[in-house]
Amino acid sequence: MDENTPHVQAKFYTKQSQYSVPDTPFSVPITVGVEELSSLINGLLKGDEIEDESVKFDFLINEEFLRVALNEYLEQRNISTENVLEIEYIEHHPAPKPDNSLLHDDWVSCLQGYSQYVLSGCYDNTIRLWKTDGTELMTIPAHTGPVKAVKWITQDEEDTSPLFISGSHDQTIHIWQWNQEKKEVDCMVTCRGHTESVDCLAINNENQRFCSGSWDKMLKIWSTASASEQDEQEDSTSTQKKRKKTDQIIPTRVPIVTMSGHKEAISSVKWLNLTDVCTASWDNTLRIWDVNRALEKSQLQGPKAFFDISYSPSNGMVIAGGSDRHIRLYDPRSTDGAVVKCAFTSHKLWIVGVAWSSTNDNHFISGSHDGIVKLWDRRSPKAPLYDMTGHEDKILAVDWSIPDLMMSSGADNNIKIYSYSHHKNISS
Amino acid sequence: MATVAAKRKISPVEEIDINEGVNLFVDEPPDSEDDDDTTDSDSSEYSGLEDEPDTDDDDGDEDDEEEDDDDDEDAENDEDEEDEDEDESDVEDSAEETSSHSKPTNQEIVTAEPDDKEGKITQLPDEYEYDSSDEEDIRNTVGNIPMEWYRDYSHLGYDVEGKKLLKPEKGDELDEFLDKMENPDYWRTVSNKLTGQKVLLSKEDVKIIQNMQKFKNPVGSDMYEPWIDFFTNEKMIHPVSNRPETKASFIPSRWEMLKVSQMVHALKMGWMKPTPTRKPDEEDETNFYMLWKDDEEPEITRQYRQYIPPPKVRLPGHAESYNPPEEYLPSEKTVQRLKKEIARGKTRTIPQKFSSLRLVPGFKYFIRERFERCLDLYLCPRQRKVRMNVNPDDLIPKLPKPRDLQPFPTTEYLVFKGHKGIIRTISPDPKGQWIASGCDDKTVKIWEVATGRCIKTFNVESKVKGVAWNPNPSLSIIVVAVETSLIIINPHVGDKLICSKTDLLLNSFEEVELPPAPTDKPKVTEWELYEDAEYELGFRLKIKHQREISQVTWHGKGDYFASTMPKGESKSVLIHQLMKRRSQNPFSKPKGLVQCVLFHPIRPFLFVATQKYVRIYNLMKQSLSKKLLSNCQWISSMAVHPGGDNVIIGSYDSKLSWFDLDLSTKPYHTLRHHTMALRSVTYHKRYPLFASASDDLSVIVCHGMVYSDLLQNPLIVPVKVLRGHKAAKGLGVLDCQFHPSQPWIFTAGADGTIRLYT
Repeated sequence: MDENTPHVQAKFYTKQSQYSVPDTPFSVPITVGVEELSSLINGLLKGDEIEDESVKFDFLINEEFLRVALNEYLEQRNISTENVLEIEYIEHHPAPKPDNSLLHDDWVSCLQGYSQYVLSGCYDNTIRLWKTDGTELMTIPAHTGPVKAVKWITQDEEDTSPLFISGSHDQTIHIWQWNQEKKEVDCMVTCRGHTESVDCLAINNENQRFCSGSWDKMLKIWSTASASEQDEQEDSTSTQKKRKKTDQIIPTRVPIVTMSGHKEAISSVKWLNLTDVCTASWDNTLRIWDVNRALEKSQLQGPKAFFDISYSPSNGMVIAGGSDRHIRLYDPRSTDGAVVKCAFTSHKLWIVGVAWSSTNDNHFISGSHDGIVKLWDRRSPKAPLYDMTGHEDKILAVDWSIPDLMMSSGADNNIKIYSYSHHKNISS
Repeated sequence: MATVAAKRKISPVEEIDINEGVNLFVDEPPDSEDDDDTTDSDSSEYSGLEDEPDTDDDDGDEDDEEEDDDDDEDAENDEDEEDEDEDESDVEDSAEETSSHSKPTNQEIVTAEPDDKEGKITQLPDEYEYDSSDEEDIRNTVGNIPMEWYRDYSHLGYDVEGKKLLKPEKGDELDEFLDKMENPDYWRTVSNKLTGQKVLLSKEDVKIIQNMQKFKNPVGSDMYEPWIDFFTNEKMIHPVSNRPETKASFIPSRWEMLKVSQMVHALKMGWMKPTPTRKPDEEDETNFYMLWKDDEEPEITRQYRQYIPPPKVRLPGHAESYNPPEEYLPSEKTVQRLKKEIARGKTRTIPQKFSSLRLVPGFKYFIRERFERCLDLYLCPRQRKVRMNVNPDDLIPKLPKPRDLQPFPTTEYLVFKGHKGIIRTISPDPKGQWIASGCDDKTVKIWEVATGRCIKTFNVESKVKGVAWNPNPSLSIIVVAVETSLIIINPHVGDKLICSKTDLLLNSFEEVELPPAPTDKPKVTEWELYEDAEYELGFRLKIKHQREISQVTWHGKGDYFASTMPKGESKSVLIHQLMKRRSQNPFSKPKGLVQCVLFHPIRPFLFVATQKYVRIYNLMKQSLSKKLLSNCQWISSMAVHPGGDNVIIGSYDSKLSWFDLDLSTKPYHTLRHHTMALRSVTYHKRYPLFASASDDLSVIVCHGMVYSDLLQNPLIVPVKVLRGHKAAKGLGVLDCQFHPSQPWIFTAGADGTIRLYT
């Protein structure tokens, strides 16, 4: 490196204790890049005789990833080179590896993983059960219209007869029980009330309630109980078709609460906590509802119609994808109107799926109609960490319920699974 | 400036007074003359320069006024001094003496500046203009009386009008003392007994006084003026004037007496009026006047000044030289040609070479040329061309920037693939979840907007020319135009309850026994029911027409719909009522090639577009209400603003015309942004947007704001050109429709795709 290049004082620190280096400022040339910094840290660690050979590191300045040479970064941010720079470094995330591909007969509109199982809803009116290793367990002719949303209710891995729900274009929501021993799936309850296609479902943390959003602009809250006395027995006239298939009487359930307010279809719902639900709609708003009092608590106005949102309980932030190329980060706790904390731009088409990591509160994935799943770090808004290609058509949904697996389903009839060796949550 | 102006004011008024006093015995009082003019006439009386131009007079006038200014200034400066101090009495007395000697009034001594006095010799007229030495100072009319008589009064005498002349305010002893101490000119300040004004003696005046005190020539130095020898020492034969004194000079004038007695009589009898006293109001009026009025050029002179110089004659060039360079000398041929041209008057000279200038013969055409030149100048009216210096950018209307007009569709986000032919028509459902498309591959497809998924496909007999989703959200009906029939389909998407209700409604129809229609009039359409398998698929009704249907459109309430058959002649437009399964022909006569029809969104009007005109019919009154002149060759499509007062028309000659129905029957605005034929135009239901699709593969989205304020014209700004479709079979984009609630646009292309731009 040139002798004349200016140097800058830098102090390195990390939250990953196994990689900590002495807390003394180093003078580094200003033209240094990520690679050089990484080798510098490695050199320091070697001094401590750590076996790891050339661990790759990422560097953060002011909670933002360093992606370019240091001097460029400093120029862009207008940071003085006089002061001592505090640079955080973390181990570089290894790239996710493509794992499996689950082929369906038709477009896969929704999916959710749980334990080692994957549940997917399909445009051919079926729900499919898969194991993550690629074996198809079951195909359930569940609905009379395309299935738009599926969700596991049971989050307990010990349970041998887990419950799940599905919402469909046929305006119903079904609660299913999967008897693993008998290898049977039974429809426990049919939830009726929506007058248009049910597009999104969400289950609260205690698995007591779930809510559904529909094209009919309504948000409905339901009980998840597999059977209850309040459920009416279905009239014989209205469910002749169903009777033919299941040959048993399925109880019908009505919503506990119905909340209206959105001016357009609700495209995504998420529970914020046991009482609050956040909904995203085509009317460009995010609304937060208090379920117990059945009223709208606050409203965030967005620029475009929303398609999907995801809420991270650990950092309390909402990411939202909509009818443009930007993923936006919102803070639902803020009361000062629509405040986009950050916009992540890299996709080329509509963003139809977003999902926070359940283990790392900085990471999330997004899926778009351009067929690429992107892994993002909240601190790197300019560029994603990784692009995961594989889909040959539009992506319709993404899921990151299993921390090790990132999954996406698309119009190429496939579910693509990417394995991801995650670090432990490094947040304090 | 203001003070000068105010001072300038004073003198003319006084002079008027003088003049009026003088003119008392003149029959015509000089009413018509201005203030300035009176002085002019005054001066001209003395100067005898009446023939000189005005301007000279003006100059003189100004000088005069300046002099007066000085006078007043002086007077004001020394107003305070009134008492005659012993120290000064000598000076003052002598001053009075001198004044009586040299000039009749003190005033003139004061005003006269040394320069002017010297100038007396050189500039006689000027002198007369300001010098009024012959006139008494008539500000005080008491005459030559001892002024002590007025000692006990507050006034000094009377002016011409008989008003009291008030004594100027006296300062007290202290003022006097202060003045004495501070005013360096105190010693040469005297007071005019007649007016009570303080007068500052000039150096010359003091000199004169001093000279007189020394018994010298008062004027001082000029003892040896050139001697003008009127009475020479040479003996003259004739006296200068040998005329004896007239008798009249000895006796009182009878004529004068006669005249005076006549006047006295006239005064007594009241025939003759004394000069009218000035009203104070008039004086006030004259106190204000236009300061710069004189600077303005009078209208006449200005016109006269608009002199346009005659065009310059072209200066002779090298060819006209008596000794032109060789290359200017014409060849034989050219000479012949030039001669011809001379004969025709085109040119005048043939270049010729002479060894010296004196050998050059006289110009033959000199007189003629001069004459023609004069004729040109005389006969050719010349006019000054006023050229506006305008920045061309300023002429472009100020339009808002497109990014201030968001939202509007900007980018292609979704492609609906599945059709295998030219997609002629698309129609979104009123809730915006689905869109129906009609294609040349004999199918009608229903798509999910959010994902671009084809949900349903209906196979029909032939190419689909028109698809229209019922605008009533509580009905689930699509009407499809296929060759000579309309097919009513219940697509069974969306709310199941609505779908089943729609079926119930369609099936609840009962044939009402109409009074037997005249049998000679054949039914315009035949309504047929679908049954069994086709019914299961969703087909409900078929309305058979006699000719090929090109377009179908719904009324806003969803019960009536209209179909267009360009070749149907008198039956080219049919209106159908769904619930009563009835068709009617609103027009008895053919109106020309009907291109498309539309219902007014609110009122019972029907828009019928033929090749060149759009006729608007009132369906209630069954009359023609308006006829729009489209100004284009062949109308292809038409759309009505949701407010109903604005219509856009697309034509095959690549024009889009916006009509404001309240404004005119001619286009309010015409957009020519497309390069090929327009196929479809459409308005957005909620946003102020409209769009046009064309064969040039582009869709142009414009912002079209209609204001509820009737005074404000619609604002039309093109905001975006959307591309993406590919050409197929010489066709481009065939239809464009906005999403009912989002600012999105669907376009249907000949390449078999529907594209969604958001």
